[in-house]
Amino acid sequence: MAKPKVSSDWLAACAGCHMSLLDMDERIIKLAELADIRATPITDLKEPDESGVDVGILTGAVNNTANEEVAYRMRERSKILVALGDCAVFGGVVAMRNFFKLEDALNRAYIETESTDDEGKIPSSPQLGVPTEVRAVGEVVKVDICVPGCPPEADVIFYALSELAQGRLPEIKGDMLHWH
Amino acid sequence: MTIKLTINDQAIEVPAGTTVLRAAEQAGITIPTLCDHPHLVPYGGCRLCVVEVEGVRTLQPSCTLPVSQGMVVRTNTPKTREAREFVLTLLFSERNHFCMYCQMSGGDCELQNAAYGECMTHWPLQPNWQPYAVDASHDYFVLDHNRCILCRRCVRACGELVGNFTLGMQERGAASILVADLDVPLGDSTCVSCGTCLQVCPTGAIIDRGSAYRGQETHVQRVKSTCAGCSVGCGIDMLVRDNHLVRIEGNWDAPVNEGVLCEKGRFQPLKEDRERILTPLVREKGELKPATWAEALSVVAGKLKPLVGQNGHGIAALASTRLPVEALHTFKQLFAAQMGSDMVTSIEEGVTTALPGWVAHELGHPFEGDLSALKTADCVLAMGVDLVDNHQVAGFLVKRNLPKGIGLIVIDPFDNELHNLADYSLRPKKGSDYDLLVGLSAEIIRSSLGQSQPSEPVDLAKHKLADVSRVTGIPQETIKAVAQRLAAAQKPAFVYGKGITRGGFPTVLKALLDLARQVGALSEEGSMVLGVKGEANSMAAHLYGLDKMFQAKDQQAAYLVVGDDYASQRLVRRLEAVPFKVVQASYASPLTAIADVVLPVEMWAEQTGHFLNLEGRLQAVQRGLTPPAEVRSHVDIFAAVAAQLELSLDSAWQDELTKRVPTNALVM
Repeated sequence: MAKPKVSSDWLAACAGCHMSLLDMDERIIKLAELADIRATPITDLKEPDESGVDVGILTGAVNNTANEEVAYRMRERSKILVALGDCAVFGGVVAMRNFFKLEDALNRAYIETESTDDEGKIPSSPQLGVPTEVRAVGEVVKVDICVPGCPPEADVIFYALSELAQGRLPEIKGDMLHWH
Repeated sequence: MTIKLTINDQAIEVPAGTTVLRAAEQAGITIPTLCDHPHLVPYGGCRLCVVEVEGVRTLQPSCTLPVSQGMVVRTNTPKTREAREFVLTLLFSERNHFCMYCQMSGGDCELQNAAYGECMTHWPLQPNWQPYAVDASHDYFVLDHNRCILCRRCVRACGELVGNFTLGMQERGAASILVADLDVPLGDSTCVSCGTCLQVCPTGAIIDRGSAYRGQETHVQRVKSTCAGCSVGCGIDMLVRDNHLVRIEGNWDAPVNEGVLCEKGRFQPLKEDRERILTPLVREKGELKPATWAEALSVVAGKLKPLVGQNGHGIAALASTRLPVEALHTFKQLFAAQMGSDMVTSIEEGVTTALPGWVAHELGHPFEGDLSALKTADCVLAMGVDLVDNHQVAGFLVKRNLPKGIGLIVIDPFDNELHNLADYSLRPKKGSDYDLLVGLSAEIIRSSLGQSQPSEPVDLAKHKLADVSRVTGIPQETIKAVAQRLAAAQKPAFVYGKGITRGGFPTVLKALLDLARQVGALSEEGSMVLGVKGEANSMAAHLYGLDKMFQAKDQQAAYLVVGDDYASQRLVRRLEAVPFKVVQASYASPLTAIADVVLPVEMWAEQTGHFLNLEGRLQAVQRGLTPPAEVRSHVDIFAAVAAQLELSLDSAWQDELTKRVPTNALVM
């Protein structure tokens, strides 16, 4: 039987969840033996296989239409979709932008920043994603497994991925469900 | 009557009136809760504790449900689990629960623990991202409404335990919000900074500023001790991490205070900003210079040795009443018994204890009760004592019962915050306290309301209502009303303080006791009279005879054992003329500035020993912090001085405590 294929991507994220994933240290070799690690933001391939993967992992919150497209694509191509980290699970730190009017947030970021001169401008290229209300991945596509944490502990990520790599659904509870 | 019921197929027997929640607890079955707290009246607000009861259509909150005969309860069924997850889902959806940067996250948050207990890895319902305010106006804690679950534990604690009633709820439904007073910033409110709300808050909604992020439950060690703030002697938990005092909490199991503390015990001790004395200091050429213990002790011995056995012009020794009993005993041993000084006393000079002590001596037996007098009274007369400013926890015991209609009678010619809470606020003209008390006694006799007669017969003709009113300046109706209220009370209590004990003569106190006898607060059966005394060990100091007035009589040397206490300007001035001064202190002060030798000693958190509280209850003090290397305990220093002078000391501190007649029966 072929090794299960695993792919990940990040949306509006800080990359902390992927760093925590790497914090499983040498255990990643074992994981690579059990599963076929395909596209991730920190490896060479950039898109999950068109032919589909067994496990898709998304980190980060849905913050604009570009994130929405990445989420749809990952959901379409994955048998099982994992929301990894608080931002993917409920919106996380990114969701705090929802406390403000979008206009105010964009002004603060692109025009009012102390390091910006008088020529500050909110980007509006048609190629850019359009900002939306910040949502959890689960508010945009169906999510099968939630792994909360900011970031989740490396041990928990290892447990979840190793279970998935062996064809099982991880049970995030008890020792695996705690804030460190 | 006992009730037999079944919980999760376990047969249980409990007294009638027990709730299902407590019955389950007794049987070792834990039902998840949030708004419940063992020291607060059950509220039934959060609905997390719901259980299935056979024969009952809907799920029931176990915290408010009394057990009934033959009841069959199930606490962990698919239905109850579903209900719990739903309750938590709604709670998370209401406000903004960001765990990632909250200092309670990771074991200290009851909301998070409850969710993890139900294996929730996400929020089934997202919140609608409405931001809530953060009130950071208070000196000691921050109130973050985003984290509040409206359990009302803080509101209930502020009312039920402390009687301050500052916190309350405003609006209804989703708009419900915690407010202080009539919705003012906490820092501007009637909050007395007792911190009880802080201690009961299950989430990070109320966070202690001083200890935030400095250690969670799993990082700290809890050392149980007794507060050194005053004579109430509240039980405290010192939360210590790496020899740092992170936070002080009230010990829920302590009989005196049952978890409640005041600002002076909970927060002020952590605001210590005086300079710590780390080594012995010896004055050389006008300046205090660091020295070794050997050098310092040799200087002390050299100056004190010739004065051993000399009265009058010898040594004067004063000790703070914050010292543990063991230290006070050794202090007395060294300076009075062994060195023969006739001026060995406390810095407090018996101002709160000498007078009542004299009365106990005259009576031949104790005449005061304990704090249960304040806890159970249906009428309280407070004379010459401000329980809002000092001995606050004793004040809370009275305040929290005020809504039950207990008549609070406050007698004090001076400004006293207790006047604001009184049902009868009396400010007799200065010097007329005695007349007022005898006048009340006379009024009670006149209306034949008293339970017993005063010990001295009252000449009714000499204490006519009109005359008493004229002399005291209190209206006749008030005197009559107070007399009637006192006489009508089933369990009247009398509490008094410095206002009565400061004077030279016991006449006012004796008149107060007579009044107490008349209304049944003092009899063979028991006493509901309580004097607040003063500091942590004022009563022990008095029992050791360390309560006389300090008289500067041309002593050649003075030994001040001030510890971490403060010495008044007046004391410093009175000592200036003494040629040789030793100060045993923890912190630099105007007193150490005039010393010839300064010996570094433990402060309150480093001490081990016992305090005798205002009830006569002996309570243990446990060291929570290790002092710096060159700092020693009081007892060790006394022993070292004694060794230099070739004197021997005993440690029979317990025996010594029983030599005098105490005002309260001692509970050792």
